[in-house]
This record gives sequence, structure tokens and C-alpha cells, in this order.
Amino acid sequence: MPLDTSAYSLALLRVDGRRWNELRRIHAQIRTQAAADGSSYLEMGHTKVMCVVTGPSEPGPKRGGMTGGVGGGGGERSSTADVSVSVVIAGFSSVDRKRRGRGDKRTLELQSTISSALAASLHTHLHPNSTIAISLHVLSQDGSLLAALINAATLACIDAGIPMTDYVVACTAGSTSTYAANDEGADPLLDMNHQEEQELPSLTVATLGSSDRVAVLVCESRVQVSRLEGMLAVGVDGCKQVREILDRVVREKGRRMIQEGTIEKGMSLDDMDID
Amino acid sequence: MAATDRIIVLPGDTIDPAVIPTPRRNAIRLGPGLRHVQATNSIVPTVAGQLITDHGKGSMWVESSTGHYIPAISDLVIGQITRSQGDYYLVNLSPYTPNATLPHLSFEAATKKTRPQLNPGALVYARVTLANRHMDPELECVSQTTGKGDGLGPLTGGMVFDVSLGMARRLLLSKPREYGGVAVLELLADEGLAFETAVGRNGKVWVGSDKSEANTRMVIAVGRALRETDERGLDVEAQKKLVRRIMKELSR
Amino acid sequence: MPREAEPSLNERQFVLQALRENLRLDGRPFDKYRPVELIFGEQYGVVEVSFGKTKILAKTSAELTVPYVDRPLDGIFTIATELSPMTAPSFEVNRPTETEVLLSRLLEKTVRRSGALDTESLCLVAGQKCWSVRVDVHVLSHDGDLTDAACLAVVAALRHFRKPDTSIEGGLLTVYTPAEREPVPLSWLHSPFCVTWSFYGDQGEMALLDATLSEEHVRVGSCTISMNRHGEICQIAKLGGTPVDAVALLQCTNVALVKVKDFSAFLDRKLAEDAKRRDKGGLMAELSAENDR
Repeated sequence: MPLDTSAYSLALLRVDGRRWNELRRIHAQIRTQAAADGSSYLEMGHTKVMCVVTGPSEPGPKRGGMTGGVGGGGGERSSTADVSVSVVIAGFSSVDRKRRGRGDKRTLELQSTISSALAASLHTHLHPNSTIAISLHVLSQDGSLLAALINAATLACIDAGIPMTDYVVACTAGSTSTYAANDEGADPLLDMNHQEEQELPSLTVATLGSSDRVAVLVCESRVQVSRLEGMLAVGVDGCKQVREILDRVVREKGRRMIQEGTIEKGMSLDDMDID
Repeated sequence: MAATDRIIVLPGDTIDPAVIPTPRRNAIRLGPGLRHVQATNSIVPTVAGQLITDHGKGSMWVESSTGHYIPAISDLVIGQITRSQGDYYLVNLSPYTPNATLPHLSFEAATKKTRPQLNPGALVYARVTLANRHMDPELECVSQTTGKGDGLGPLTGGMVFDVSLGMARRLLLSKPREYGGVAVLELLADEGLAFETAVGRNGKVWVGSDKSEANTRMVIAVGRALRETDERGLDVEAQKKLVRRIMKELSR
Repeated sequence: MPREAEPSLNERQFVLQALRENLRLDGRPFDKYRPVELIFGEQYGVVEVSFGKTKILAKTSAELTVPYVDRPLDGIFTIATELSPMTAPSFEVNRPTETEVLLSRLLEKTVRRSGALDTESLCLVAGQKCWSVRVDVHVLSHDGDLTDAACLAVVAALRHFRKPDTSIEGGLLTVYTPAEREPVPLSWLHSPFCVTWSFYGDQGEMALLDATLSEEHVRVGSCTISMNRHGEICQIAKLGGTPVDAVALLQCTNVALVKVKDFSAFLDRKLAEDAKRRDKGGLMAELSAENDR
């Protein structure tokens, strides 16, 4: 499916009608699963993922997830909590109904990345000898998969009440130039969908909150090194926008919980610093 | 020990009877790597290495640099605390081997209240008190007879360097320069460097000093000198050259 | 179950303290590689690469097979990595560890997905016959920075490799033995190399190249950048770890480009040396002149 890049240069609109710096619609919910310690549901355009967090709890039998992170890991008792992530990509999530086994290296890499990125933000040293199990389910894929998974995992961890330094937020960025052409006029693009990811160079950026500090940077396509700076800048900026959106979701949920009386009595809404 | 009288033996070799010491009073003592076969009344090496004979003490053994440390009673070792369990610390002596145990109270002047609190990952200099096959080895950081630490106990600061087991053994000899051909530490000390070392039979050398800016460089230099001597098999002359080079680098 | 030794507290503190004073345990500057050695084997496509004590063997082989049904015009190209108990007892056969999975993914993305080897040229008869080229990467000893060493080994092995010459006449495929026709090199498009940075400090503010195993144990994050000498990024992987400032990452990329150019020149020189060594009595020049006609 050739992407009509010539159309972009005429109207400066992308295949789905967005401008270069526009995110797709992000819809998120937290506390979607009553039984879980923390849960979330996130849509970035047509990419839809669910996340369930269990823990921090005593390590149970190994679930085959990837553990990682700083100082974590090891079968022995550790001084920090293990962050164990499992990603399940549903067979119906993409157009070509491909069955991915447990040992799929791409999925293992996703798991390891998410685990290691969150472990650096979560205060794992507060929960020695325990496991934080994060289980992610991909329901629908339309590009920016890793970014959506990281965002969903962050939301679920917040819902589970695990102390963390700041949100780990992610989004993707791309460029309108093909890898061979070193055209200076190429525009960076924000939040790639599946079709754009197939055709154009793209990268996934995750930052710690609204800072400029990059936790995850994954680029899997060929691109001129001179394009990187622009793409990275747009990506980091996009992360700040994503953080705003996720923050709003969390605060809105908090407000509703207070109104519904989940918070202990005697504390009025005005006393609490929420907005 | 000159280079000319080095005898290299392989398992099953016949040993020239001329080199076997003949002590006048008591029986000959066989060290590691040798076996007495009664049927033929001969001494047969069981490992490859250098045959060392001591005519004065009437003993002989095979010196070899093996890859794997096997604890033996009264060896000095450097261990890493894995965790505390009951009244014991579990101590790791080398990777991929079962942990050794070190009683909580086996430190100098330790009581239930004053015993050192060691976190996982801390280093101790200890002596092996029990080493049986199929049993976890046991360690102590205090002399059972005198109640003194004698330099054993937790190691704070500094850095550990891995050396070969043969090198560790040579460093632990009473006169490393004369018997073992390792003079590098002495030479460095003669140049005016002030550092402490603890040598573990399990192939670890700890090098420490007080904490100040220049000392990190010095500890690194000492460690590199040790490893280079070990890996390249330098003799005393070459070690002198190495020390001169290192001192030049340090003064820069 | 065998357990890997983790560095002691003393070691952790010391390594970090030394880095704060701009010192590394082996006396290298932060952005310098250990001595890189590359030895080609007697056979074509066999190469042994060592970075200090890290040692990697790569062997390329090719066989004739049937192309995949969904890709009838492409040959088959696979990279197989193997970390065996020979590397360390904690690696078990047939049970890939995280290290191995990430290594194999990185090589896959760097060499295969970036299109370094022209897979279309491996196809002989569409949908019926193609070459299957396979690189086996064996880690002989692991002292840190496996990725960079493995990538250099794979690229060197593929560029050194010669596959038997073939011809098609009237639908008849002939494969020539080396005695009949000189084997031909693979159709190679560009040479990507990996450069791995390791980060230290609370903010990941210190960056090291070519970390040894003990340095890798203490690091808080790493970033592998793959590029070719034309400045094309083939892949970037900073898979989690402590967040690092974006500007610092861009700086790392620029240094990586310099290192990649060094690698590229190094490999070109080694390949030329090897070609010269094999070219005894000018026999090869004679043969290739014949082939040109």
C-alpha cells in the first residue's frame, strides 16, 4: 500500500487527516477490573490495550514473564521488587491473523523493555522480596504498540498505588523523508499509525513525566542521523502532551471516587487538593 | 627456585626417583595432586602441573592453577554475603558453587548485641573451618583459640580483583618473592604506595586504602599490576619493569 | 541451579567512585574500545572477533532450498545466536535467556531488517530455488559488550563469505564447484555496526563505551545504536533503564557515528589484507578476469 506522500506535501495533511504535530485520540480508563490490584484500558487511535497489575505481593510460581530492571531479577531473595511483565497479543488484533507463540522474540523484547522502563521509575526498593506482576493484553493494533503498552502499564501501576517517581509516558515520532533521501525539508511527524509505520522511519520515545529525560528510545527503521534530532524533539514533546492526558484521566477518576464515597468520611472535597 | 629445576608432570607420569625426597626420620608427606600406589609402591601424579619438592620438610606436591576453588580446612578466603539465615550468614566463595556458612557470632568480640550486621553483597575475610565433600563448607572470622580476629572480618571499601588460583596461592606463601616469584606487591610498596591487601585462596585479592582522591587511582593501579602479572606470567624482572611503568603512569 | 555471581557492594561502590573520578578499571578513557582483534578462518565466511576478553565466532554457510511461499522472490537469510554453557554455566542449552533474546533481536534488526544483505539476489528460480544463507554466532567468552562484538563478527563473516557460482541455462540450474568456477561474494548493500553505550549515575549522566562484564553489572541503563558509515541509523535500542537526558543521547549518536566509521575502515582493511593473503601467485586475479568476460 503505497502511501501518497505527495499528497502530504500539497495539503500538509497525513493519511488520516492529521497535521504533523497532532496526536490521535487517546481514550483511557483506570480501575476497569474490580478484582485486580490495579487495571487500565487505553486506546491510542485504533490501538487498544488492557493492563492488569497484581502486587506488590509475595512471589508466586514463575509465570514466564520477563523480569528485569536495576538490581532486580534472580531467584534468590532480592532487596527490590521484581517487575514481571507479560504481553499477550491477541490473534484478532491485527489484519493478518498471525499466531504468536510464547517464545516470540519480539514479544519477549517488548516485555523486557516495559519491565526495565517501569522498574527505573517505580520505587521497587520499598517492596523487597516481592513481585509486581504486570499483565498486558493487546486487543487491537494500529501502530505505536510499545507506546500504548507503556502508557497502559503506567496507568495501572498508579491505580495499584505503587509508589513511583513520575509517570512513564510514551509516544511515537516519525519523519516524512525516506531513509535514502537526505532532504532537509522533511517534516517530523507525531504519533504514527500502522500505515505510516510501515512506510516511513519512526521511533518510540518514553520519557519520565514531563522532563526531557528519555527512558526508552526504540528505532527500528533506517533513517538519516540528521533526522534524529527533529524526531526526538517531536517525540519528547508528544510525551508531555500524553502525560497531560493521562494525568487528567487519573485526576478525574480520583474526583469521582471521592464523590462516590470511596474515600473515608470526614474529609470533604474542598479539603483535598485535587484539580 | 630457579627455572631450570622446574618439573612438569602430567597425570599418570612416572616421577624420577631422584627427585623424591628421602626424609631420614619420618615418612614422606604427599600434598595435593599426588597419590601413592601401593601395588607398585610408586608415587603417581593425578593432576597436571609443576612438581614441587621440599627436601627439608620431606614433602612434595603438584602446583597447578585450576579453574575451580575447592575449599580446604584453614584456607583464608574472601567471601561475599548472600543473605542471613537463622544464626548464620550464607557466604558465596566462588560463582556456581553452594554457599558456605558463617555463624553470626564468629567475629572478634561478637555477642548477640554487638555482632556485625552485614548486608547481602558485603565482603568478609574468613578462614575455612570445615570442608567435607558433599557438605557446605563452614567459615570463621575469629580464631577459636585466642578469640582474636587476626585481620579476619568484614572488608570495607576497597576493591576485589579476580586472579587465578595459582596466583592466589603464590601470594599467600610466607615469602612470595622467593618461593612464588611474585614480587609485584612488595615492589609497589617499596615505591611508597600505601595500601592494604587481603588475599583469598579462592582467587580473590582485596586491595584497600583510606578514601581520598588519589587512592582510587592507586587501587586500580595495584589491581592492574596483579592481574597483568598473573595473566602474562611475568617473572620478577618483568614485574620490576611493570612497576616502573605503572609508577610513571601514576605520577602523571 | 547454577547462579551467576553478582558484584559485591564494595565492587559496586568502587567502580562508581572510580567513574566519578573519570577512571576505569582497565585504565581506558570512557569512549575507547578495548583492543579489537579480527581473524578470518581458513574457510570463507568464518571469523573470530575479540574485544579484550570477549570472544565471538561467526560462521556463514549457504545451502540451496525452496523459498518461503509468501516470499517467492526472496532468498532466506537467518542469524542464529548461541550462548552456551561454554560462556558461563548460567546459560543453558535450548533455553534462551534474556541476554540471548535481546542480542539476537538486535542483530536481526541491525543486519537483517536494515537490508544489509540483498535477499532478492539470493533467489535463483522464483518460487522454486533460492539460497538460504545462515550465520551462526557463537559466544566463546563473555566479558561485556557482546552486541558490538557480535555485530562486527556477523558483518565480517558475511562480507568474507563466498557462495558457489551458479548458472541457469534453459531452466537447468548448475552449481559449480570451487574448482570449476571461483565462488562469488554475496550481494552486499551496506555495513551496519553496533555501538553500545552504558550509563552510570543517578541521572545516567556518565556514558561509557564497550563496558566490561563487571562494568555492565553496575550500569543503570544502556543504549545500542546501529549505523553505517553513511550516517544512516539502522536501529536504536534503549530498552528501559534509568532515564537519560535527550540531548545526551543525541551526543552519544554523534560519537557513535565516528566509531562506526572506525569499524568500517578497520573491516575494509582486514578484508583487503585477507584477500591479499589468499591471492597467491595472482591466480585469483586471473580467474576473476575470466569471469568478467
